[in-house]
Amino acid sequence: MVHLGRIGRWAFFAFIALYLAIPMVAVILYSFSARWTSNILPDAYTLAHWGEAFRDERMRNAFWRTTWMAIAVLLLDIVLVVPAVYWQRVRNPKIRVFAELSAAIPFVLPFIVIAFGILKFMGRSAPQMLGTPLIILLSHAAIAFPFLYWAVDGAMAAANVGRLNEAAVVCGASPLQTLRHVILPNISSGLAAGGMLVFATSFGEFALVQILAGSRFENISLYSLDLLLNTTSQVELMAVLTILMFVVLFGISVAVVYLNRGREGGFLPGSRALVTEKNE
Amino acid sequence: MTRSSSGGVSLSGISKHYGAVRALDDVSLEVAPGELIALLGPSGCGKTTLLRSVAGLEKPDSGRVVIGGRDVTQDPARKRPIGMVFQSYVLFPNMTIRDNVGFPLRMRGASSDAVRKRADELLALVGLSEQADRYPHQVSGGQQQRGALARALAPEPEVLLLDEPLSALDALVRVRLRDEIRRIQQMVKITALYVTHDQAEAMAIADRVAVMNAGKIEQLDAPAALYDEPATSFSAGFVGNRNALELPVVNGVVRLGEALTANAPAGSGGRVVAFFRPEDVHVGQGGEAATIENVSFQGLLTRLHLSVPTGGEPARLWADLPSRNAAGLQVGGSVPVRIDANHVRIFPAE
Amino acid sequence: MARDGATVLPGGAAEASAAPRRGFLASVGEGLAAWLPALPLMALAIVFLVVPTVELVVRSFYTPDLGWNLSFWQDTLTSNGSRKAILTSVRLGLVCATIALVIGTPLAWAISRMVTAKRSTWLALLNVGANFGGIGLAFGYMAALGTYGMVTLAVQKVISGFMPPEIGSFTSLVMAYSYTNVPLFVLLTLPAMGIIRTEWMEAAETCAATRWQFWRYIGAPVLAPFALAGWLLIFTWSIGLYGLAYALGRTASTTGELRLITLQIGLTLNTGAGKEERAYVLAVVLLLLATVALVAYRLMLRRALRWFT
Repeated sequence: MVHLGRIGRWAFFAFIALYLAIPMVAVILYSFSARWTSNILPDAYTLAHWGEAFRDERMRNAFWRTTWMAIAVLLLDIVLVVPAVYWQRVRNPKIRVFAELSAAIPFVLPFIVIAFGILKFMGRSAPQMLGTPLIILLSHAAIAFPFLYWAVDGAMAAANVGRLNEAAVVCGASPLQTLRHVILPNISSGLAAGGMLVFATSFGEFALVQILAGSRFENISLYSLDLLLNTTSQVELMAVLTILMFVVLFGISVAVVYLNRGREGGFLPGSRALVTEKNE
Repeated sequence: MTRSSSGGVSLSGISKHYGAVRALDDVSLEVAPGELIALLGPSGCGKTTLLRSVAGLEKPDSGRVVIGGRDVTQDPARKRPIGMVFQSYVLFPNMTIRDNVGFPLRMRGASSDAVRKRADELLALVGLSEQADRYPHQVSGGQQQRGALARALAPEPEVLLLDEPLSALDALVRVRLRDEIRRIQQMVKITALYVTHDQAEAMAIADRVAVMNAGKIEQLDAPAALYDEPATSFSAGFVGNRNALELPVVNGVVRLGEALTANAPAGSGGRVVAFFRPEDVHVGQGGEAATIENVSFQGLLTRLHLSVPTGGEPARLWADLPSRNAAGLQVGGSVPVRIDANHVRIFPAE
Repeated sequence: MARDGATVLPGGAAEASAAPRRGFLASVGEGLAAWLPALPLMALAIVFLVVPTVELVVRSFYTPDLGWNLSFWQDTLTSNGSRKAILTSVRLGLVCATIALVIGTPLAWAISRMVTAKRSTWLALLNVGANFGGIGLAFGYMAALGTYGMVTLAVQKVISGFMPPEIGSFTSLVMAYSYTNVPLFVLLTLPAMGIIRTEWMEAAETCAATRWQFWRYIGAPVLAPFALAGWLLIFTWSIGLYGLAYALGRTASTTGELRLITLQIGLTLNTGAGKEERAYVLAVVLLLLATVALVAYRLMLRRALRWFT
């Protein structure tokens, strides 16, 4: 009995591990394959595709565009979110009601629906915005802000920002000075973790870019899709691109886990809000 | 509370290794019916492992566990006639206090009427009737432990096992609940094993105290005997607030200037450790001059930290004297001290 | 709160009588100061999240020439294609979430009891899964389980004539979604697994409960609300997934073999095919599903935490 259970357990784990690993392995093999006919593994290997990929101008542009957009979104969200959360904690708790409601929208509403709504609203009120990097920047900032909001809110709760603020005010600091010299240094790991999630959201986003800009702002996702659906294109290039994109996102998630280490109460998203709501 | 008097517990030759670490080394212990024995020792001495071996949560490498005359060595925990209270509160969070207390009866197939009746009886016994319908997180830590005690007693086990039940509580609650546990244990007349690292707690609650060290029972005695007559150097050091001075032996005699002269026990080598209680240090009645390093008023008693010159490193000891005799003693001042040789326990130095 | 304009300072009636005169400007200033640092974020959220959502709801009920009416809704809900899209999306959400629950719960439990080194390995693997999504995953899935995929070829060596589910079929979508969903579910519920303390199992054992009884009376009741909350999130995210569905199912979708709400909306916008008014209704249907799921999720979390806070 025990023996069978243990074998079953082992098989369960092995199956899951294999299932999770295989597509990634296949993509990696593709990126190094010189020729792959109908064998399980490639017939010959080469490094050439990696060189080609980095020389491919369209790819370089897509990568560059995606990266600076993600950085811009991150900076914008920091500027928008941190003062709002700070004020909500030290001055006006009602800000939370509004912020949590807005944060719920991108949390559950599919991005394709948000993209659709923005397209219709902007098409009516500011059509010249469509297709510009600006609309991508603003809409990405809007859909990604909840990650930063929750992370910063949690970090401020953990740092007991109310007390810190009182201490700073007693020392004669203005709100801006308090934020810069007292609050920010104490929430840096939460800020970094949330910021990385914002970056990742923009970096891997597809629906909004496709609907709101299309080929006028070709990011990595759009270029990947084009390579995938266009039968004449090189599959190996697609493999390299997929790996690059994955490495960035995986690296970020590892960093987030590292930054959040030892933090309690990270149950499901929103549970912290629920707890504070109950306690306040 | 009616019950047939509970049986005793008999442990023989219990050993347990974790890799190379010997957690229990051939331990034997007889607990008489209705007796409460405290297992006392520093962390890592094996006291908790011993308790868990009785519970069946730990499987010893060798030895026998007999509870109420029945050999339960091979039985899993759920088949043993035991009730257990854990260190941190382990009431089940999804059940009310009453349901927690009734849980062991439910698991044993009692009818729901019987479960409720018995649970209410026990809740009254531990003084939790008011909180019966609350969930564990809605009551205080002390109340949770009362609930845990009621749960442990509910199925009328042969033996009650308590694993540092008070260590997570505030000092004030701790003393009250300690006395309460003792009262209930004596009222129900249940055999009990009580693990603690707090010697005052062990002395206050137990019929006998087993001092444990490095997987062995060093001494098993009534609290007063243990306090007055520690049998080993370890129990002398661990139980009671004692001065411990390492001193040389010259011609079979241990000396600390004019303060102490005593015969070294047979077979001790060149150095011994002398243990004596602070109330047995007489101040101002002749002896050796000592420097007062600190004076701290503690109510009825005043504690002096003294240093006695020995030629080499001065010997440091403390003395407790009635506060009314301590007036006029100043830090830096000098007083004669004498140690009552009849109350000094001397063991060979290790 | 002491900072409210109406608070009378301890100082006397003179102060109080002066208050109404300063009151209006002071309260405008107070109100502005209370909200100012949050205003830019609120503006962004209103323009890019709230208003676009309202826009879609309004457009699904309103036409310039007819005013408010239900004709788009009638038209959409009687159209076979749209009905099929709604049903398939919901079915996809149900199947994906249930697979994530059934595989993810025991996996999360096992991982939560592993020693640190082994656990880190699994967390890394799960993070690979959770981060490998969208178009890249569609490619990886084809490379593994497409007609000439690695796994397909490997299985064909053993079972000749084996064919994997066709790319773009319902089954292929479920299998591909699971790469992201199962790891996400585990990562979401892992912290909740830590709630179950080993001492509870021991306490249950000393109460004469078997391992099965422990799970029946304590483990399952405590964990169920967390697992169901995770199920609801996966359900919501699965019916809303777009990039992966577009990459895998575009061809099947243009031929009408595969219909999903997200794909219907995406195709309408990208190719101009299909009626746009149906896309409004479908978008609002997604909105309704998401809202119901979110409310249920909040209730479930509240339930999950009620024994602890």
